[in-house]
Amino acid sequence: MSPARGSKPKSASRRWPLTGTGAVAAVASLLLAACGSAAGSGHSGPGTNGTSVTAWIVTTGPSPINTVINQTVSAFEKSHPGDHITVSYVENQSYKQKLQLAMGAGNPPTIFWTWGGGPLKQYIDAGDVQSVGHPSWTASFLPSSLGAVTFGGNVYGIPIEGTQPVYFFYNKTVFAKAGLSGFPATWSALLADVRTLKAKGYIPISLAEGDQWPGLMYLEYLTDRIGGPSAFDAIEAGQAGAWSSPAVIQALTDIQQLVRAGAFQSGYDSLHYSGGGSDALLYSGRAAIQLMGDWDISQVLGLNKSFVTAGHLGLAAFPAVAGGKGNPSDLAGNTASYVAIASHATSAQKKVAEAFLQDELATSSYAKASVGAGEVPVISGAAPLFAGQQLASYDSTIYSSVQQAPSFQYSWDQSLSPAEATTMLTNLAQVFELSQSPQKFAATMDSQQGAS
Amino acid sequence: MRLADLIGLTPAMTLFGLFILLPLLAAFVLSFFRWNGLGAPHWAGGANWVQFAHDPVAATSLVVTAKVVALSWVVQTPLSLALGLFTAGHQRYRAVYAACYVLPLLLSTAGIALMWEALLDPNFGGLAGLSHSLNLGFLQQNWLGNANLALYVIVAIIAWQFIPFHTLLYQMGRRQIPRVLYEAATLDGASGWQLFWRVTLPQLRYTIATSSTLMIVGALTYFDIIYIMTDGGPGYTTRVLSLDMYQAAFQQDQFGYASVLAVVLGVLGVGIAMLLIRFTGFASMESQQEGAA
Repeated sequence: MSPARGSKPKSASRRWPLTGTGAVAAVASLLLAACGSAAGSGHSGPGTNGTSVTAWIVTTGPSPINTVINQTVSAFEKSHPGDHITVSYVENQSYKQKLQLAMGAGNPPTIFWTWGGGPLKQYIDAGDVQSVGHPSWTASFLPSSLGAVTFGGNVYGIPIEGTQPVYFFYNKTVFAKAGLSGFPATWSALLADVRTLKAKGYIPISLAEGDQWPGLMYLEYLTDRIGGPSAFDAIEAGQAGAWSSPAVIQALTDIQQLVRAGAFQSGYDSLHYSGGGSDALLYSGRAAIQLMGDWDISQVLGLNKSFVTAGHLGLAAFPAVAGGKGNPSDLAGNTASYVAIASHATSAQKKVAEAFLQDELATSSYAKASVGAGEVPVISGAAPLFAGQQLASYDSTIYSSVQQAPSFQYSWDQSLSPAEATTMLTNLAQVFELSQSPQKFAATMDSQQGAS
Repeated sequence: MRLADLIGLTPAMTLFGLFILLPLLAAFVLSFFRWNGLGAPHWAGGANWVQFAHDPVAATSLVVTAKVVALSWVVQTPLSLALGLFTAGHQRYRAVYAACYVLPLLLSTAGIALMWEALLDPNFGGLAGLSHSLNLGFLQQNWLGNANLALYVIVAIIAWQFIPFHTLLYQMGRRQIPRVLYEAATLDGASGWQLFWRVTLPQLRYTIATSSTLMIVGALTYFDIIYIMTDGGPGYTTRVLSLDMYQAAFQQDQFGYASVLAVVLGVLGVGIAMLLIRFTGFASMESQQEGAA
């Protein structure tokens, strides 16, 4: 058995796996939902002078941030007598389907959780989302953090949980044993280190490609380092042939070079991240490196606490590529998790929801509380808040790297339409298995452009 | 048809219509629309069906599904039959074995999938551990990541899950064969093999038909273990039609196209089930024990 089985780290699946269960049951519930949209929650409570509002928040189990959100809601209800917010915590895996069904049936909660990007855009296009406009109070967030929820100059969501950029994590002990002084700053140095690690009997890099999204992180970063942010901007804008740009082809070629160098462990293409196997390789000292979102720190903390607290878990930026156009300070990952307001709500409900977003979520006191829950908030001036936290050094590094990043590319599978994203992930997995060439991948994706 | 028959049939037909016919019909109608689950569906004519005809992924899925169905039947039937006949005996040790065989039936599908995924993990899994300690190199495989292996591994795990159920069917079937048939055949000088071929197998005809229908239709729509363990990968090598439909509907938000796949799956399932019933004479339900009782 994998050693991680049974333990349930807080952030085990903080990613939005594009998943769910029971296709048939879901079809049936879709039909039922379509029939029964009149009943249900989300309407103002009768008999009071206040307004009742429902909120769906994604969670992976009892976590400190849930407590913070509950306290914030109580504080809001106290300062807005009569108004009431009912928070429902929804399990991460099934959330996307649940929301899609509720939206399709015209019966979503007033406040709903979102990761922004393509799926949010889909709801906006269908007229399901209420914009908060572009009020001055949104300026309290780091500028890069609202990109995923800003469309046509209007802001549609407000950050509720912290930022999740992707970094290289490495085992410092293994690096020292292999005679490597520090994490490589260039791609060619990384390749050289991979060969050294391999020669010393270590797995150079652990990869949970069974989930497909961990491999995408390589493509996101390499494309940025080689071609700069504009390479993906072209793809996102749906420009013809954008997938065949030299930057993307080069990035895919570099990925296959890494695979051919034997950088990844045996069975990388079927390992799932949530099982903790890729982390176990890292902290057990069998593998040296993993590319992962910053939620990996709390996952490893849950699996092997002393490894993190003793400072063996190194964090490094993705290396630069020689001759590339991208700034090595550019980041990729999830800028933040957000809440948005559904346009189906009554105007009284929208008012309450907006007040909650503005008066509670966009405040430094909320940021402070969420830091206490292990989050790295995207609000300006949060740097002093980390002092004394268990993971203060990681948090400060992450916060300042987000602050300084010239570009923070939102995860591609969230930026693209769901159809294009799934095709991309499946085909990219084949690139990682060397069963598809970079050119074939680019051609497939170019022919998919604009699929909805 | 008498009025009483109609009244008697009403509850069953209502349920059938509401939960089988209506969704099937709705899927058929939806297959002519473009719909992402939000707002109103748009009329698309036959576009989804044309897309299906030209979709290489759907074609691959059909082939993978056919392989899963055929292999499942070929693997599960002889094993279930053998185990069923073995456990049909009344000796106590056989009862102990029977209890062991039934164990997988008690586990949830998700549990089975996660357990096997952990066992097959090339780095931390039980099989990899065995390969180290017993020096059995062939156990050190990339079981779920190897495009040449993954489908067979999946078929084997599905068999592990369902053989117990079919074993029970055959056990019951064998126990219902009257002893006089064997006594008569033995008096006529039949050998053990002849008893099996001339008495047991013909008597189990309807059990085989039932078991095969369940197996084939079940394998046709099989979803859970594949979804959890490989999600159709590596590449498209384990992407069965039901998974393709699920992906189209709930990950790509293409409900119209997913409905095409659902209709194809539904028609295949019903068609195959009807063929099986016709060719096995199951529908006529005549006795197989003429003169025996």
